[in-house]
Amino acid sequence: MTTIQRKIWLLVSVMLLIMGIIWMMLTYYNQQTQEQTNTILQRYLRMNEVTIASQKIITDLNNFLLDPTEMNKAKIEKSIKTIEEVQQDVAKLRNEENAFSVTNYIHLIDSLVETTNRSILFSEEQELEGSTNEFNEANRISMYISEMTLTILDRELKTYNLFYREIIDQSEELKKLGFWILLLVTSVLLLATYWFSLSITKPVHQLTKAANELARGRFNQRIKVESNDEIAFLAQTFDEMRININDLILEIQQKAQLEHELQQSKLLLKESQLRSLQSQINPHFLFNTLNTLSKKAYLDGAEETSDLLVSVAGLLRYNLKRIDRSVTLYEEVLVLNQYMEIQKARFTDRLNFKKTIDESCLHVNIPGLTLQPIIENAVIHAIEPEENGGTISFKILRDGSWIIIEIEDSGKGISQENIELLLSGQMGSNEGHSTGIGFQNVVKRLQLFYGVDNLVSIESVEGIGTKVIIQIPETREEVSDETFNRR
Amino acid sequence: MRKKIVLLLGTLIIVFSYLTIVSATKAFRSTSELPATLSEMEDTIRLVLITQELDTPFWNKVGQGAKQQAKEENVELEVWGSYGNDQEEFLKKMEIAIHSKVDGIIVQGLDTEEFKELSKIKAAFYGIPVITVANDVPVEESLRKTYVGSDQFWAGKMIAHQLIKEMGTSGEVIILGDEVQAYYQQERLAGIQDVLEGYPDINIIIRGTKDTNEQVISTTQQLMNEVPRATAFIAVNAKYVGPMIQEIGRRTQVEPYHIYTFDDGVESTALLEQGKLDGILEQKPVEMGKESVKWLMEWITGKTVPLNSDGYLTETNMLVSDGDMP
Repeated sequence: MTTIQRKIWLLVSVMLLIMGIIWMMLTYYNQQTQEQTNTILQRYLRMNEVTIASQKIITDLNNFLLDPTEMNKAKIEKSIKTIEEVQQDVAKLRNEENAFSVTNYIHLIDSLVETTNRSILFSEEQELEGSTNEFNEANRISMYISEMTLTILDRELKTYNLFYREIIDQSEELKKLGFWILLLVTSVLLLATYWFSLSITKPVHQLTKAANELARGRFNQRIKVESNDEIAFLAQTFDEMRININDLILEIQQKAQLEHELQQSKLLLKESQLRSLQSQINPHFLFNTLNTLSKKAYLDGAEETSDLLVSVAGLLRYNLKRIDRSVTLYEEVLVLNQYMEIQKARFTDRLNFKKTIDESCLHVNIPGLTLQPIIENAVIHAIEPEENGGTISFKILRDGSWIIIEIEDSGKGISQENIELLLSGQMGSNEGHSTGIGFQNVVKRLQLFYGVDNLVSIESVEGIGTKVIIQIPETREEVSDETFNRR
Repeated sequence: MRKKIVLLLGTLIIVFSYLTIVSATKAFRSTSELPATLSEMEDTIRLVLITQELDTPFWNKVGQGAKQQAKEENVELEVWGSYGNDQEEFLKKMEIAIHSKVDGIIVQGLDTEEFKELSKIKAAFYGIPVITVANDVPVEESLRKTYVGSDQFWAGKMIAHQLIKEMGTSGEVIILGDEVQAYYQQERLAGIQDVLEGYPDINIIIRGTKDTNEQVISTTQQLMNEVPRATAFIAVNAKYVGPMIQEIGRRTQVEPYHIYTFDDGVESTALLEQGKLDGILEQKPVEMGKESVKWLMEWITGKTVPLNSDGYLTETNMLVSDGDMP
């Protein structure tokens, strides 16, 4: 992980390195040029020295010839020594271009020295003419040396002309180069700094945005920061925090929903209890009266009436007892039979009741008074209004782990819109119900009891009939059972 | 905005990089090589070719041939000299060459006392071999090792033969030379005379002149006055043919005259092409250059000692004008 500090260090050191390299390059190059110029200047100075030294010899020789003392001789010897030293220096100046001239030059110096020595010799031997001749010759040679110096210098200038011009051009170009490099480095530095600052501010910006989102309460968006420094670490931690908060919120939401459902089922129960209390003012009195009436009828020989009354009493008792308790399907079917007997007594031939029951399904638990309100609905809508009566068929069958209960009538049917309103609980019609428990009440209770939605469905064809289908899971989850029993 | 900044900086970087690279290649381009320094005193053999007539076609060719040969022999050779027959400068160069202790001197012979003293005494004193080229000086007077060039006597004869061929066996022939004739001119003259003397009908007028244009012109004038019936001119010194023809052309037509000279003059070839000259004697300057260096090297390396003091002769040809030229 590159930290921000490391990034800064990297940027600065790379820049320092580049500048250092440029500085060293330019310095090195300048030094080289200077050395070259120095070498050239030295060449010229040395050649000039030859001229000066040769002229010195002539002067000294002249002095000696006029006044031949030891002191003057020593002077000449010194001059000769000087010119021999210079001669050796000049020998180093030979190159391919000027080898011929410089060699000639060196030999000219030799000749000068030789002639000078001869002149001294003649002078010492008192041969005046000889020494004067030699002096004249030495003088001529000295002149030749001067001339040759000029010639060589001239040639040197020609040889080096191009070279000098290049040096001048290059130093001009070097100035330009410095300028361009300055601009180039400036732009590179600007770009690098821009990218560098971006690499720091962009993640911060992303993080700020993410924080804003969180502050607005959107916990679902992932916090993603594309970088590899401390900010990324911060973002990661931030994201973990977001996930934790999100989880907590979900949990709270679930709990709240659960609480809400509980509240609702409690309200429903209260309502049904209230209803039953309202409708049955004194059920025990009615129950006792019914029993008395039954006995009376039996005693009077009206056995059929007596049985009917027993059924009514049984139904009434069931109603009183089972509203807030789970019962088996078997008990429900039993009550249904009693209810149908009563209705048969009422409608006689108009009511045709068919039942098909799979006995193996009767052990399942079901909330009390689930089937009776639905059958009652069928009677109300399919038998009562019809002159010729109708048919109600009742089926219990098994479909895998599900128990299917079907109640079908041959009434006028219900429109699709009404079915939906009925199932969603937006249409309430409790009138005419013996138990005061409506269709919606059944649907909701089933839903709460099993904890599963859409257990009840209605199929209807207008003019032919309506079929109510109730699906019940054979085994019920324990939790919802407890919840149900708690109320 | 962000993209714009990056784009702008990117463009700037590309532009500056380009300019930097262009500038850098110019600035750091290796400077042209300086001549390699020769640290040791390499004892290459140094020869000097000295002439009084630098930058004339004839001597350029001699120099060219000499340099060519020097390259082959792997020795160093420089052409020195003076311009326009400047004897003083020429002798000075010769003296410098001697004092510079060159290994050999090839020189255009000059028939003067100073030259002879230099070659006979000074060069001999330093032990420097001197050979003459193109123009000879007799060996007894100069102590030259040998002579390389045309046989001037033979060349004179060739010109004379050509003259007779064109002019016929009778006529007045004017021969123009130097007032003080150099050895080579004497040779040429001798060759011409040698032939023409065989024809009694041919009259020879020999006249010397000083070597300025004015002098040549006035001498020509005099000659044409004195010998109005002259039929032929021969310039023994080829340099005089230019002013001579100029003067003739001023007085009368050049065409009818038979004019001959040698090819070592500046204007010789040009005048021949113009048709003003009827013929020139062509020598082999390139050969001369080559041969002189060759023989000098033979002597220095000790292959041929002594050299043939009669000289090594190069070929001569007669070049004749087409005559149709205007």
